[in-house]
Amino acid sequence: METVTLTIDGRQVTIEKGKTVLQAAIESGISVPYYCYHPGIGIDGSCRVCIVKIEKMPKLQTSCSTVCTEGMAVSTRTPDVVEARAGVFEFLLINHPLDCPVCDKGGECPLQDFSYAFGPDLSRMDFPRRVFDGDGVRGDVDFGPTLMLNRQRCILCTRCVRFMRDVDADAQINIIDRGYGSEIATFQEEGVHSLISGNLMDVCPVGAITTRDYRFKSRPWDNPLAADTICTQCAKGCNVTAWIKAKPEWAKGSQLIRFTPRLNPDVNDYWMCDIGRFEYHWIEGERRVRKPLERQASGVQQPVSWDDVTAKLCDRLAAAGTSNPDGVRFLLSAHASHEELFLFKRLTEELVGESGPAAISVSWRYREKQQPAGTKFKVPAVDAPNVNGARMLGLVPGAPGDEVRGADVTALRQAVEAGRVTALYVFDPGPDGSLGDTTWIVEARTRGPLPLLIVQGVLLTDLARAADFVLPGASYVEKEASYTNGHGRLQGTTRAIPTPGDAMEDWQILVNLGTALGVAFDYKSAAHVRSDVTGRFSTITELQGLSTLAFNKPMEARHWLQASNPSERWKWDFMFQDLPPVKGNVDPTSLPLPPGAIPLKEV
Amino acid sequence: MEPLLTRYVREPNAFTLDFYLRHQGYEGFRKALAMTPDEVIEAVKASGLRGRGGAGFPTGMKWQFVDKKSPNPKYIACNADESEPGTFKDHLLMERNPHLLIEGCAIGCYAIGAKIAYIYVRGEFLHVQEVLERAIAEAYARGFLGRNVLGSGFDCDVYVHRGAGAYEAGEETALLESLEGKRAQPRNKPPFPAVVGLYNCPTAVNNVETLSNVPLILLNGAEWFAGLGPEKNGGPKLYCVSGHVRRPGVYEASMKITLRELIEGHAGGVREGRTLKAVIPGGSSVPCLLPDQLDTQASFDGIQKAGSLLGSAGIVVLDDTTCMVWLAENLLHFYRHESCGKCTPCREGTDWLHKILRRIEGGGGQLRDLDLLSSISGNVAGKTLCAFGDAAVTPVLTTLKHFRHEYEAHIREGRCTLPAPWRATRALEGVH
Ligand SMILES: Cc1cc2nc3c(=O)[nH]c(=O)nc-3n(C[C@H](O)[C@H](O)[C@H](O)COP(=O)(O)O)c2cc1C
Ligand code: SF4
Ligand code: SF4
Ligand code: SF4
Ligand code: FES
Repeated sequence: METVTLTIDGRQVTIEKGKTVLQAAIESGISVPYYCYHPGIGIDGSCRVCIVKIEKMPKLQTSCSTVCTEGMAVSTRTPDVVEARAGVFEFLLINHPLDCPVCDKGGECPLQDFSYAFGPDLSRMDFPRRVFDGDGVRGDVDFGPTLMLNRQRCILCTRCVRFMRDVDADAQINIIDRGYGSEIATFQEEGVHSLISGNLMDVCPVGAITTRDYRFKSRPWDNPLAADTICTQCAKGCNVTAWIKAKPEWAKGSQLIRFTPRLNPDVNDYWMCDIGRFEYHWIEGERRVRKPLERQASGVQQPVSWDDVTAKLCDRLAAAGTSNPDGVRFLLSAHASHEELFLFKRLTEELVGESGPAAISVSWRYREKQQPAGTKFKVPAVDAPNVNGARMLGLVPGAPGDEVRGADVTALRQAVEAGRVTALYVFDPGPDGSLGDTTWIVEARTRGPLPLLIVQGVLLTDLARAADFVLPGASYVEKEASYTNGHGRLQGTTRAIPTPGDAMEDWQILVNLGTALGVAFDYKSAAHVRSDVTGRFSTITELQGLSTLAFNKPMEARHWLQASNPSERWKWDFMFQDLPPVKGNVDPTSLPLPPGAIPLKEV
Repeated sequence: MEPLLTRYVREPNAFTLDFYLRHQGYEGFRKALAMTPDEVIEAVKASGLRGRGGAGFPTGMKWQFVDKKSPNPKYIACNADESEPGTFKDHLLMERNPHLLIEGCAIGCYAIGAKIAYIYVRGEFLHVQEVLERAIAEAYARGFLGRNVLGSGFDCDVYVHRGAGAYEAGEETALLESLEGKRAQPRNKPPFPAVVGLYNCPTAVNNVETLSNVPLILLNGAEWFAGLGPEKNGGPKLYCVSGHVRRPGVYEASMKITLRELIEGHAGGVREGRTLKAVIPGGSSVPCLLPDQLDTQASFDGIQKAGSLLGSAGIVVLDDTTCMVWLAENLLHFYRHESCGKCTPCREGTDWLHKILRRIEGGGGQLRDLDLLSSISGNVAGKTLCAFGDAAVTPVLTTLKHFRHEYEAHIREGRCTLPAPWRATRALEGVH
């Protein structure tokens, strides 16, 4: 890597050639504010808060648009810079509504934080503030199905405009009017319609764009924990953070309060899609199965204890298996982790022998998503996280690199409809619909050809309602489990919240069931299962990562920026002095100041 | 000096190709085609021609900076947005002498290795667009434009694009954005248009008057051209004299001329019974000069030495009836309206300044407003993305510097103390 060395506030900084002064400052933990620049969107040079002084240049320069050169001498804290920067901050706030107490961004707002650190103490503005509510125009509006827009709060950084234009390749947002009258708008006020619209909330540095999902539901200080995990709603496997709201156990509402993306240049960059971001309410929803269920002679499903359900289920399965060993079949969702798929495979091998796994079919939903042709964030058509894992374990034909199409379960369906299946065991820890069409199973069970249906899963779907036994399992934020995404990348989920009611982690359910069926399963933990996977599949190199795969724990959360966007992390580290700086282990306040420099204010 | 650019503007048919050809039209272009492109650039450099759009940057140098090695096409973008208050010279040139500009465009294309010139015409100049298009059609018909121009093997197309009417579209990078069909908002510089310009290709942006001078250089030689004016200020210059003078208008002169000769001589001086109060020598964006500076040479360097800028050579003459607070308020109303809004200090600052000025004009000002005005202006100047910000605060800073007592009188009396009270009231009604 070619590098250049420059000094910033007297400190030597070496950085990759071609990077800007702002990037150099960020990477070395020197606090320079910025709004229009965003590492995932690029440079605009319009907000002007990043100005610095560069030796030999007559005017102050915007650090975001100035490329570092060898020997360049930059100051960010000399009186002229401090004063000029404070002037820009004053401009940014003269028309800002300052409604922080009712603004969703409050507490994690770069406008608040940077204004405190770099802005003037008082405003000299004594005219009424600009409001966009006028003839036929409203300041606070619906911004499409997922978002709200508050124009009064907007600082016109155009990150949203450029995100839609450059990342989603669909320029739905632009500025109308000009100068002082400039406002963010979509054509005919129809709002943003995009599968990745939620990212606009993240990129907006103020509370102008908020999501309907999170709006007024919580504040940063009410979300004490954040769990860095992955999304498992499709084959992409975005790196995300799950946010957990503080709530007494008896209180209504959910703990899981939002998902935000985490930077991973190899997977999802700075972004995630709206499915992963907004469609998580099933996890703590009304339809969640919290207790094992057994269908009574009356036809009604009754909650029962795990001991009861295991014993009865064993009897029924054993009976079905003894009368017709080929009649017991398994239908697994590709939402199943490596651990879970492996246990099903082991179970069939132990009970039937080497040919046992032939009884297993794997299914997933395949949906082409409507997206702009040039979008830089393509959401895969495969709505499941682990088709490649199932391939490696030999449960789905094909190698991990091969293209994935729709699942093929016609053979199983024919067998079920022809009455050749005496017991069907379905496992799906994903949201409703993850298995694709299942009406034929419900049909077969109610009409008669299928005498026994067992469903292990998370939701009381139509399929679960038709089952003789329902075993409540865990969703992807309730267990540590591993998956291989569409690009063959092995990743793990984090246990962010506990399973609800009597629900259990799925590996545990399977180990208990196996043991009851007389199989010598001695796994003590999911990690234990993983080490057996690597042992038994020692020839599959892609699976060897399981032995070293690290799982995160929920962490004390300060701000989503801190957790999700490393290039913005430094500023929290800097402002909240109780946290160690991310890079370089330097405390910027301990550095010698250049002569005449004004120390930054304590926050 | 005999007029050169505007010599025939009063002739009824001066805009036709026949008339133009009878008066050495396209002769300069023929000469250029007989030279190498580099020789043409050398000639323009030697002539000392400086850009007439405002900054006075040497045109030959600008052409030399065009990245010839780039594999991309090159372009000439002629800046015909002429929107600076007090400026109306390009309009005259295009309306009355369009072939001179077209010839300049063609020579420019040849010099920098371009095949296409775009003339970006101000949105309001509908009739100018028509004149230019007619002239361009004539030039195509007679082989001065199109394929294999004059049998030289050189191809050249000229297109007219009319903007939507925005002052900021005259800023060179905003002009390029607008040409590309986007909002007229400037880009970051560097890269400069000579390297990354129209459609990311090397582009020379030149003012109408600048390009109109080029045929003269080729026709009569660089030395002759340089000799027309003082050192480093070669060639003829158009001055737009407006305001409180007897004969406002466009006057062509050598830059050896003084402001006094222009204002008192050509324009007939201020009206009977009035005295001169101030002169804005380069369009509304430059600092004023005072009556004792009238003997300043009206050249780029002369005016700069006197503490202002020649800018677009829009000379606005202000007599003793002019309220300088009103002037500042009036101009800030313009700048507030025309700010493109891309960058924070200009978008917010122009409006805030205007509000304060309006308050003072309306009699509601306080003395501390004056410090606020200069502080806000200081926070805009030098902090913006393009030069608009500096231009916008100049009227405030220059009037405060020279006429602070008028502001104080306004604040003290709660009204304008000059004998033209209609202005103050009208200013208040007319604000939107
Ligand atoms: C706000 C602003 C408005 C401008 N308007 C014009 C204009 O109307 N016409 C013009 O020729 N140049 C204008 N300019 C100057 C151009 O940016 C550019 O310098 C000029 O077109 C270069 O041509 P020249 O070198 O021939 O002068 C403007 C500059 C600014 C900052
Ligand atoms: S809505 Fe947000 S992201 Fe968009 S311009 Fe305004 S402040 Fe920037
Ligand atoms: S793209 Fe896939 S992995 Fe990423 S957030 Fe959306 S559903 Fe989740
Ligand atoms: S200085 Fe004014 S005109 Fe220029 S970019 Fe900024 S807002 Fe636009
Ligand atoms: S971050 Fe540099 S101008 Fe906005």
